[in-house]
Amino acid sequence: MPEMTRRHLLALSAATVILPSAALAQDPGEILRAAFDNWRATTSHAVMEMTIKKDTGTRQLTLESWTEGDDNALARFTAPARDAGNATLQLGRRTYVFNPRLNQVIQLPASAMSQSWMGSDFSYNDLAKSDAIITDYTLRLLQTGSSGGRSFYVIEAVPKRGVPIVWGKQIVTVRDDYVLMKQDYYDQNGVLVRSMVADRIGSIGGRPYPVQLTMSTVATPGQYTRIKTLSAEFDISLPSYLFTRSNLQNPR
Amino acid sequence: MLASLAWRNIWRQPIRSVLSLIGLSLTSALLVFMLSFQLGSYDTMKTGALGLFDGFGQFQPVGYKDDPDVSRLLPDWERLLAATDIAGIDAATPRASSFAIMAKDDISFGAAVFGVDPAREPLVSRISTTITEGRYLLPGDDATIVMGEGLARNLGLAVGDTVIMLGTGNDGAVAADVLTIVGIFSSGISAMDRQITQMPLARFQETYNLGSAVNVVALRGADFGKVVAADAALKQLAGANGATYLRWDELQPALKQMITLDLSTAMMMYAIMVIVVVFILLNTLYMSVLERTREFGGLLAIGMRPRQIGAMVWLELIFLSGLGAVIGIIIGGALTVWTNSVGIAFPEMGDILRQWGISGRLYPDLTLVSALAGPGVILLAISVLGVIPYRRILGLEPVSAMGAA
Repeated sequence: MPEMTRRHLLALSAATVILPSAALAQDPGEILRAAFDNWRATTSHAVMEMTIKKDTGTRQLTLESWTEGDDNALARFTAPARDAGNATLQLGRRTYVFNPRLNQVIQLPASAMSQSWMGSDFSYNDLAKSDAIITDYTLRLLQTGSSGGRSFYVIEAVPKRGVPIVWGKQIVTVRDDYVLMKQDYYDQNGVLVRSMVADRIGSIGGRPYPVQLTMSTVATPGQYTRIKTLSAEFDISLPSYLFTRSNLQNPR
Repeated sequence: MLASLAWRNIWRQPIRSVLSLIGLSLTSALLVFMLSFQLGSYDTMKTGALGLFDGFGQFQPVGYKDDPDVSRLLPDWERLLAATDIAGIDAATPRASSFAIMAKDDISFGAAVFGVDPAREPLVSRISTTITEGRYLLPGDDATIVMGEGLARNLGLAVGDTVIMLGTGNDGAVAADVLTIVGIFSSGISAMDRQITQMPLARFQETYNLGSAVNVVALRGADFGKVVAADAALKQLAGANGATYLRWDELQPALKQMITLDLSTAMMMYAIMVIVVVFILLNTLYMSVLERTREFGGLLAIGMRPRQIGAMVWLELIFLSGLGAVIGIIIGGALTVWTNSVGIAFPEMGDILRQWGISGRLYPDLTLVSALAGPGVILLAISVLGVIPYRRILGLEPVSAMGAA
């Protein structure tokens, strides 16, 4: 029957349009959660190379980092000689730094959290509040798209009222295997201030991973900070003393 | 002939003329004094606010004002010291600065650290005179620091204690140092006392990896106005050395805005005062012209031309207001000079004034502008509006004028 056929066809075409997106449609909070879990896992240990390019020259630093959950992180610089030994410890929202020349641990005051971390395009806030985007922002799935045979989620994050956040909004792009692809930071006027891009995705520790992340600020073209993960292991057991002030000062 | 007639006419009605003169001269005197006071207090504010720390002007690297990063440097700053050869500039001092964390045990605060030349800095900034404990930096000091009393209190520090400084150097590497507090200052501006620290420039350059470069060169002269007048020469010197020159109003735009706002509201008040006085006076004089219609009729009858009579009355007006202006300038000037020597105390405004680095006393300053502007405007307005009685007289006709009441 022609009538039946037409209805059947309509239903079919509707299904083909809706089905793929229905499969993808998820809560944006869950997508970001999954992306952070993929990035940091329950625990992680990584060796990274940080390249800081400025007008005045390029610095290359090597660091070792450990993370545990969302709250605890330790980063210790190992090269070059003049930077080696500097370390940053994050316990919840408190951040401590250790400087070998002073042989002292200093807890950062709130006013210093927006300062640059080791001269890079990252601030201490970036380290301490990396997952704040899930807790302190209202999330909205802007679109799902596909490119090169893969699907992407584009999520808009607007700070919740009353939360002290300098950004007006963030736009985060996550690949369907929960690799964080891009994070754009906008100011209160909706102008793009800086952007972090995963410019190389690889497989590390048995998972798809943004091997190379580049953070650049719109106001300083040609300058950037690039973090390359050389090796990483995930969901390993870390000793409990790792995330303590005494270990920050006197590594075992 | 007309002039002497006009002068004599003024004194034919001595009481009226004297009353008009009193009104005129008191208004003029008040304008002289108030304008002197206002302009004088602006100068005090500028000198106070800028002399405390910023300096009356600064050489800076291009772009430093918008992004005061320690890596924006003046490598050839020594050539900028030639500014002291320019008339009006008496002192120049190099500075480097950065944000740093100041820490003592478990307490830490963010602060601005300035590397200053202990010998030159006191010639430009008054901070060294506000030391309340210990001493200011001295030439030859090394790992020493002075800080505002608010910061010292927050950190629980006293003179002789050591403080940890942690910042980011020119190349992005950690700049860390341990410094001994030799002095604590109390500038009266609490924001400064909570945020500003100073250490010897040489040590700062070493810690922050600046080589021999600095971030700014701050200037001062004995006379604020002369520093402003040297603007063009300073800009040229800056341009020749790859730097920019920032005037006082670029260093302290808030001060400039406050002065502009204050001046414009005051100008409105002065304008109202002048308008009221001018029209009261004009009314009196116009009345007297009306009263003298018979007299003018007589003058016309004996052969004087209406133009001459009009000019005579116009001259009377100008003489009267001119005399009033001169007396006003003398009274106002004398009052200004006297208060300039003793100052005017504003005890209840002390806190507001302190924010601009001023003690609770303001000094009027008699200048050519403040002395002449107010009385000059009154004189000019009356002289111009004298055209009204003048035109009235031109229309007189001998017979009907003589017949007027």
